[in-house]
Amino acid sequence: MVQPSKRQLLKGAAAAVGAAAFAPSLFAQAKPVRVGYAIARTGPWTGGAQVSQEPNYLLWAEQQNAAGGLSVGGTRRPIELISSDDRSDIETCVRSYEKLMGSDKVDLVLAPWGSNANFAVAPLANRFQYPLLAPTALSRRLVEMKLPYFFLLLQQPKSMCDALVDMLKANGVKSVAVVYVDDLFGLENFAALKVALQGTGIQMVEDKSYPGGVKDLSPVLRSMKDKNPDAFIGFTYPPDTILASKQAKEIGFNPKFFYASVGTAFQLYKNVMTPAGAEGVLGMGSWNSKTSPGAKAYFDAHTKKFAGKEPDRWASGACWAGMEILTAGVAKVGLDRKALRDYFAGTTHKTIIGDVKFSGSENTATPGTVSQWQNGEFEVVWPQKVATAKLNPAKPVWK
Amino acid sequence: MTLFSWLELLASGLITGGIYALVALGLNLQYGLMRILNIAHGEFLMLGAYLTWMAQTSLGVSPLLMVPVSFLVLMALGVVIHKLCFRRLTVTSPNLDIFEARGLMVAFGLMFLVQNFASFMWGGDLRGYDYLTEPVKIGDAQFAGNKLLVFGLALLFSGVLIAVLRFTLLGKGVRALMQSPVGAQLVGIDTQRLHPLMFGIGLGLSGMAGCLLSMAYTITPAMGEPYTVTALIVITLGGFGSMSGALAGGLLLGVIEALGMHFTNPSLKALLSYSVFIAVLLLRPRGLFAK
Repeated sequence: MVQPSKRQLLKGAAAAVGAAAFAPSLFAQAKPVRVGYAIARTGPWTGGAQVSQEPNYLLWAEQQNAAGGLSVGGTRRPIELISSDDRSDIETCVRSYEKLMGSDKVDLVLAPWGSNANFAVAPLANRFQYPLLAPTALSRRLVEMKLPYFFLLLQQPKSMCDALVDMLKANGVKSVAVVYVDDLFGLENFAALKVALQGTGIQMVEDKSYPGGVKDLSPVLRSMKDKNPDAFIGFTYPPDTILASKQAKEIGFNPKFFYASVGTAFQLYKNVMTPAGAEGVLGMGSWNSKTSPGAKAYFDAHTKKFAGKEPDRWASGACWAGMEILTAGVAKVGLDRKALRDYFAGTTHKTIIGDVKFSGSENTATPGTVSQWQNGEFEVVWPQKVATAKLNPAKPVWK
Repeated sequence: MTLFSWLELLASGLITGGIYALVALGLNLQYGLMRILNIAHGEFLMLGAYLTWMAQTSLGVSPLLMVPVSFLVLMALGVVIHKLCFRRLTVTSPNLDIFEARGLMVAFGLMFLVQNFASFMWGGDLRGYDYLTEPVKIGDAQFAGNKLLVFGLALLFSGVLIAVLRFTLLGKGVRALMQSPVGAQLVGIDTQRLHPLMFGIGLGLSGMAGCLLSMAYTITPAMGEPYTVTALIVITLGGFGSMSGALAGGLLLGVIEALGMHFTNPSLKALLSYSVFIAVLLLRPRGLFAK
């Protein structure tokens, strides 16, 4: 064995003395803010949860702790994240939150991923009186439940579909063909689209639903191609968004407007379709790094922390806005959950995606938007007041 | 509908069916030959898909080259797994029924192990890459290049497997094992070597299927399960242990689904597949093609 030199011994001793001198003050201020959540790390929800949501929670905790901790009414306290995998299972998700709020009694909870999980967890959070800012829930019914402790950050089906139809109408579209996934997300969006189309003169020439995890959409796309609509609209989840795009390319179905939903805003989309292949594809997106200086700083920090993994251009922005609102709220009113709820409900929040303001549970300040892939970036193209680039009204051929 | 659209629809069904067949063949080899109902079959398919994705995106290896590589890697893995789990079960189980039940439990365990291994290794993100997505025109119909390739290779490998089983001495031995394990041992067929080899080839086929699928679809650690279910339906259609039955069953299921989706709704696909499954179990429990 190598004997440690005298110098090394001295160094060690000095370090020990130093640590002993500082440790008490570290311990004194170290009562952490315990923040709990359950989210999908395995199972079918993972693809969405690990792009739009959990990375933001981790980045937020890291940034706050690097700044000395989360400001709780002016005092900085370190954040301790208490998280678990909900295995994409509603039952597990609900039980995890029950434990976090009921027996662990954490200081704050962050939302789970997706409309279905939030549908189950929101009433529970309300019962335990934990304010919940949900970045990835999209459902009229969640708003209609009128839960005072529940806040939806993302634009809801009505505003998204109104923006889409508004854009199509302004560009002279006469006919659309629609596919939608047969769950809460797809059904509500499809219903909102039908309402939005009323009185516009745009005809729906075909509509088909499909089950999640579908492996082949080409029979449906082929029959749509035969009807030659001006626009294709898909209320789809990430794997199906990519499947529909690949298969549309495969059979040469190239309407002037090709719109798909969750997943178009992901970095994955341009990786899988290649930037040239994605050119002109429309989808659900609401921001990018050009939206605001804050958005740019967030985008860069995210990309740096996760080794080149970019946040998605839709829900990630809303998620980060939620973290900003939470941070500001805790700094202002502390960890009193009732006061925090009142702060969320009664303030116009300044965030990276612009103003956020809640009427009931719904964020009514962020307008419905449409984005489009242009030269490797998912640009907001509608409505014009928040656009980061001009709409290309004729999608080029698939490449 | 014109004759042409009919043909196009049938062709797209056949392409999907070809993939089903390839997945089912591997499972059939394991179940038909050894009564190992390998519920984790789809998980090994997922491993093959991840291997290919990893080689393609980080090393730039052509996915086509990964077809034999996936086969060999998964085959080696299969031989090891057989040695670690199933050989012991064969020794300790008093009869074939108990072996089958225990094997099923072990396969369940494998399913969770492999799936969690993939989540641990590569995370839960969706992955994918772009390979041969250019459409190929055949007459007026268009198909993706990668799909045609997948279909062609699926048919080729199925054909090779069927030919090996039918025409070679090795195949004769395997078929003898399927018909009567005891009889086969009595005439001197070496089950100690044939079983691990066949189990390995079964996994190799699923790895290869995964490699081919990764060219056309996005991949996740949870992608395997639906394929296991489909493979079970296909081997029920084709008859347990019958390789040409599995090929025909796979193609048939693909076509039925394509037609069903076109004329009704993709949402009804599961209903359709399971109706076929139940009907076959009720009316022809030994498979559609049993004599």
